[in-house]
Amino acid sequence: MPQRPAHVQAIRVGLANVRGLSDLRSEALDAVLLAAEEGETDDGQLVYGETEPVTHLYVVQNGRIRLERVGSSAEPVRVGPGQTFGRHVLAGVRGERATSEGPSSLVRIPEAALLEALAGKPGRPQSLQAPIGGPAPAVEGATRRARAAAQGLLRSLGGNALQCLRSPAPYRRLLGYALFFGSWYLAVEAWALPHFNRLPGITEVVHEWLSKDPTFGLSIYTPEYYAHIGSSLRRVGIAFLLATAAGVPIGLGLGASTTFREYVFPVFELLRPVPIPAWIPLAILVFSGAEAPIVFLTLLASFFATALNTFLGVRSIDSKYVLAARCLGATPWQVFRHVIVPGSLPFVLTGLQISMGVAWFSIAAAEMCSGQFGLGYVINTSYTMVKFPTIVIGMLTLGVLGFLTSAIVRLLGERLVVWRARELSMERP
Amino acid sequence: MTAGAIAWRSVGTPRAAAVVRPHAADPDAPLRRRGAIQIVDAVKYYGVGESRVLAVDHCSLDISAGEVFVVVGPSGCGKTTLLNALAGFHPLDAGSIHLDGELLCGPGREKAPIGSDRIVVFQNGALFPWKTVLENVAFGPAMRGAIPRDELLERARRRLAEAGLQGYEQSYPGETSSGVKRRVEIVRALMNDPAVLLLDEPFRALDALTKAMMHEALIASYLRNGSTVFFITHDIEEAVFLGSRVAIMTSRPCRPKTILSVDIRYPRSRETVTSKRFRELVAEATTAVHEEALNAYALGEKEG
Repeated sequence: MPQRPAHVQAIRVGLANVRGLSDLRSEALDAVLLAAEEGETDDGQLVYGETEPVTHLYVVQNGRIRLERVGSSAEPVRVGPGQTFGRHVLAGVRGERATSEGPSSLVRIPEAALLEALAGKPGRPQSLQAPIGGPAPAVEGATRRARAAAQGLLRSLGGNALQCLRSPAPYRRLLGYALFFGSWYLAVEAWALPHFNRLPGITEVVHEWLSKDPTFGLSIYTPEYYAHIGSSLRRVGIAFLLATAAGVPIGLGLGASTTFREYVFPVFELLRPVPIPAWIPLAILVFSGAEAPIVFLTLLASFFATALNTFLGVRSIDSKYVLAARCLGATPWQVFRHVIVPGSLPFVLTGLQISMGVAWFSIAAAEMCSGQFGLGYVINTSYTMVKFPTIVIGMLTLGVLGFLTSAIVRLLGERLVVWRARELSMERP
Repeated sequence: MTAGAIAWRSVGTPRAAAVVRPHAADPDAPLRRRGAIQIVDAVKYYGVGESRVLAVDHCSLDISAGEVFVVVGPSGCGKTTLLNALAGFHPLDAGSIHLDGELLCGPGREKAPIGSDRIVVFQNGALFPWKTVLENVAFGPAMRGAIPRDELLERARRRLAEAGLQGYEQSYPGETSSGVKRRVEIVRALMNDPAVLLLDEPFRALDALTKAMMHEALIASYLRNGSTVFFITHDIEEAVFLGSRVAIMTSRPCRPKTILSVDIRYPRSRETVTSKRFRELVAEATTAVHEEALNAYALGEKEG
């Protein structure tokens, strides 16, 4: 059932009660309504004169209409709300004058539409359907939008895999790795350069890493390896989430509110340069247990990275967007919700990528000082116990995990700021 | 007995505003009763203390409802200052501005409120890059919560289609050309049925061809909507082509030097540009602007 404004619905009900129209089918009544017109009259205004051809049936909504027979001594007839006039004119009678007594509102139906409806013909079904906004377009819009978003994401990822393989990019990346590991091999093992010859060689490390029976007790086949990875991952995950939960709102606050900024920013800038290892004693004093201090130390740097980037993101928003939104009637909260938050999002996401990076940065430091598991702990104990290849295994594992988690954050971010990804893909030639 | 026919309209369409007299400069202007602007003795300084500069000096303008009022003047003459005061972005130092007889800013009210009765189209465009074209167009009514969402989106689609912009609904502004962006921004403003549309050199960065198309699009939408248009530009041909009146401002401080009535009927088209009357008006405006440009240049030399 189409939704109509209340007064149109009232007119429809009114029409349905008009004598002669009451037995019309619903569709026919809709057709009549579609053809109907409404209008207002002032006191004494002529609706039609005695000489005019009358082509409509009139229904009084409000007010009163005086009907006079010109040249007749009969008393004028007055019609009120819900009553009709002009009908007998349709039947061919002329010489009537209709005048408004006081302001009135009227609806009139053209003769043709009325005859059509009375003849039982269906009205104009297409045009009846047209203005009705059902759920269909909305659903269509949503799918179209989702599809566009997916395409944008694909485009931002560099198109399809085949196209990717044709470009020189993947080969350059591989070559970059090859150069790095190659020089490691040459410096440590092939040429055994001074100083470098104390380091574990790449073959030794890889052999240990992939060994089912590792000399120093840690390889991809030992469950301890995954226990260490798991505990580091969990700590980084918790720290990252906490840092985001605290950093984004505080960054938004710093950017959006001068008062908040005046209170908070000096303290923020005082604490931000303090290096993570400097926090270790206090963290251990304040937090009990082994986990809490590590998580705290890990989230510190992430928090500052996220908050600072969010703050810069808010500051980067051109003030014209805020003015435009206010011009269009947005309240301060709506400006925040529709301009400040989405406008700073690209910076926020950069902040989150940095945050993920520095979380891995700090966790190694934190785990070296306390805790019994984790990759930082592995590196530290391996040093004291002279297990050099295991140190490198720990380092490379940290690198791989950091790389992967940052990539995940970036992909999720690109999904969130489709507009930015699509804008960038337009700029690309 | 009251004369005049009854204004019949389709059932459900809103009642038209009471008919008002069109403004003198343009008898063809759409009939409006909102959007008359009076600027009285506006004064604005920039900077403080000894080094402050008088940007606008006792500037008075009387703009009728539904008029396209174009302001032309040398760079930095303070045209944008007037627009900012009208929009409510900046206060005036003295003087007052009235909209339809109501005080917008002046004694007792430092800054005009910012609101959807006066919408600014910015020099470099201010479509939200994070919203699609459709969301941008629907933004104003959506914020005010005036219309149910489905109906609003439908209306926004229709407005875009009327402006020849169908197919762009789901694009982000960053994916469209600068001409499309400008048109979308004007549609976004008109969606709110503002009393006044404030345009600050909106077509400055466009190439000549796009600009010509924009002019016709603006005239078409103006004729349909009939908001009072306050248009700032450097471009004299643009001013005469669009305006019902063109105010040529003095170089700093800013004050109207001449106000030309453009007695060419709307809708104007490309043929207008070649007409004799158009050329005459452009020549007249150019002479006035040229004098002011020389003054501005001399002023610059003195200061330099």
